[in-house]
Amino acid sequence: MGAQTKPASSRSARQLAAWHRWSPARRAVVSALLAAHLLAVLVGPWSRSILSDFLRGVYRPYLQAAYLDHGYKFFAPDPGPSHLIRYELEFGDGRRVEGMMPDRRKHWPRLLYHRHFMLTETIPSPLLSPAWNPELPWEEQTLSVPQQAYVRSYAAHLIEAHHGAERVTLHLIEHRLANPPEVLGGMELDDPSLYLTRPLGSFTRSPR
Amino acid sequence: MRLVKQYVLSLSAAARDGWNHFWFTPADPATLALIRVAAGAMLLYTHLVWTLDLEAFFGPHSWVSPAAAATVLRDPDGGGYAWSHFWIIRGPFALWTAHLAALVLFAMLMLGLFSRVVSVLAYLAAVGYVNRIPGAQFGLDQINVMLAMYLMIGPSGAAWSLDRLWAARRAGHSLPPAQPAVSANLAVRLIQVHMCVIYFYAALAKLGGITWFSGEAIWYAVANLEYQTLDMTWLARWPLLIALITQVTLYWELSFCVLVWPRLIRPLVLLMGVPVHLGIAFCMGMITFGLVMLIGCLSFVPPDLVRRLLRFPSDRKAGQARTDPIHGARRLVAAPPKQPSK
Repeated sequence: MGAQTKPASSRSARQLAAWHRWSPARRAVVSALLAAHLLAVLVGPWSRSILSDFLRGVYRPYLQAAYLDHGYKFFAPDPGPSHLIRYELEFGDGRRVEGMMPDRRKHWPRLLYHRHFMLTETIPSPLLSPAWNPELPWEEQTLSVPQQAYVRSYAAHLIEAHHGAERVTLHLIEHRLANPPEVLGGMELDDPSLYLTRPLGSFTRSPR
Repeated sequence: MRLVKQYVLSLSAAARDGWNHFWFTPADPATLALIRVAAGAMLLYTHLVWTLDLEAFFGPHSWVSPAAAATVLRDPDGGGYAWSHFWIIRGPFALWTAHLAALVLFAMLMLGLFSRVVSVLAYLAAVGYVNRIPGAQFGLDQINVMLAMYLMIGPSGAAWSLDRLWAARRAGHSLPPAQPAVSANLAVRLIQVHMCVIYFYAALAKLGGITWFSGEAIWYAVANLEYQTLDMTWLARWPLLIALITQVTLYWELSFCVLVWPRLIRPLVLLMGVPVHLGIAFCMGMITFGLVMLIGCLSFVPPDLVRRLLRFPSDRKAGQARTDPIHGARRLVAAPPKQPSK
């Protein structure tokens, strides 16, 4: 019987020795910091509630400064349509140039393409547009202040990046996803019927 | 009443011991060092790609101008604590200098040169980048910064590093594996817990949808032309397969935070992550995101297994160092005397 209990007691002794590498006071301080940090990690993605709003208010400086304020909503709640931006640049000499963002032919490697893709996906993001109602026609939706800031900034960048450009018109394109019966019926993933376009506005030089 | 008191005392003692055991047991820094190499490489690549269009993303006339970034990051009350060193950078020379300095930092982190200081600077640099361009970020950046944050805590340069080679050179002989350290355990434990939180909330968010329940979500993920790198539309003929992949993914994410802890099933849970994340990587063109999630999952690989798999010369020499098969930490007790052979 004594021989059976020996391994357990020697394991306890070993663990005790291991923990004692740090003094109780040091462990207590680190434990408090750990608890505070772990609560922040939980609060960051917590869905909205009175409690989470309160805790988010308390933790806001830490969450923002440490870049922990995320929802981790990967392809959630549902994988949705893609959003692209089509732009038309007008130059002083009368030329017109059209482009699409993102553009697989221009944006390489894949990570750079994805960065451009995220810029366009951000515009209808629920985080920026809590009042955005996908059921309404796009023309009836109003862009929030952050959405307008993004759109104006993209327009200004396009004008600056294209020497001689005087004006740019932006369109947000929603690319609906084909469902399996549609694909089995012969529809391609880039079928024109899957695209919806909403004008974002026309902008002249120096809109910042 | 006495029973209740006894129960409460036992419970609090068990909780205290469990907490101490979980967080404060010294661990071999091998796992942390491997994460440093992989995360450092990912940080280096992620930021190297910015070089191709640096001024378009970080210059004064960038896609997201400083004014637009400030508008987006600001709280409704006008405050905000998101910061970036790019706010004070003016002009292309300063921009390129800061960028090259950051690339050097990430390379040093990957190689393990001045690891303790460099890990702190690398984290600060990574946060500075992500806050400068809100809108161009995605899951990759969240995991990159999370890993960089925890690499600051432990001795990530204690193995597989130039720091280690340098120390051996100064000593004039090869060194045994680094001593187990509480801070190494803390860093790895924090990554583990954070990965559990990420998977749990990722699954919770999916539960708010319809297609993850109905079993169609994977179809809509792979049928997205803008993400697609491999044509998976043949899946349309296999609705049962779509539903199976969808719901296995959902329930794997949901249960990860529980099932990854029992040692017997941990390898199975981690192995499940390989097809999930490589599927995202190769079917949806998010190779960096798929890989960085797997780097986070490396935190669950015990250090003795890491050493066995990598088998660096220094390990063979110190193979005699006995390791705890459960926690991977070298035992702190003296080896039992050998039994005389009969």
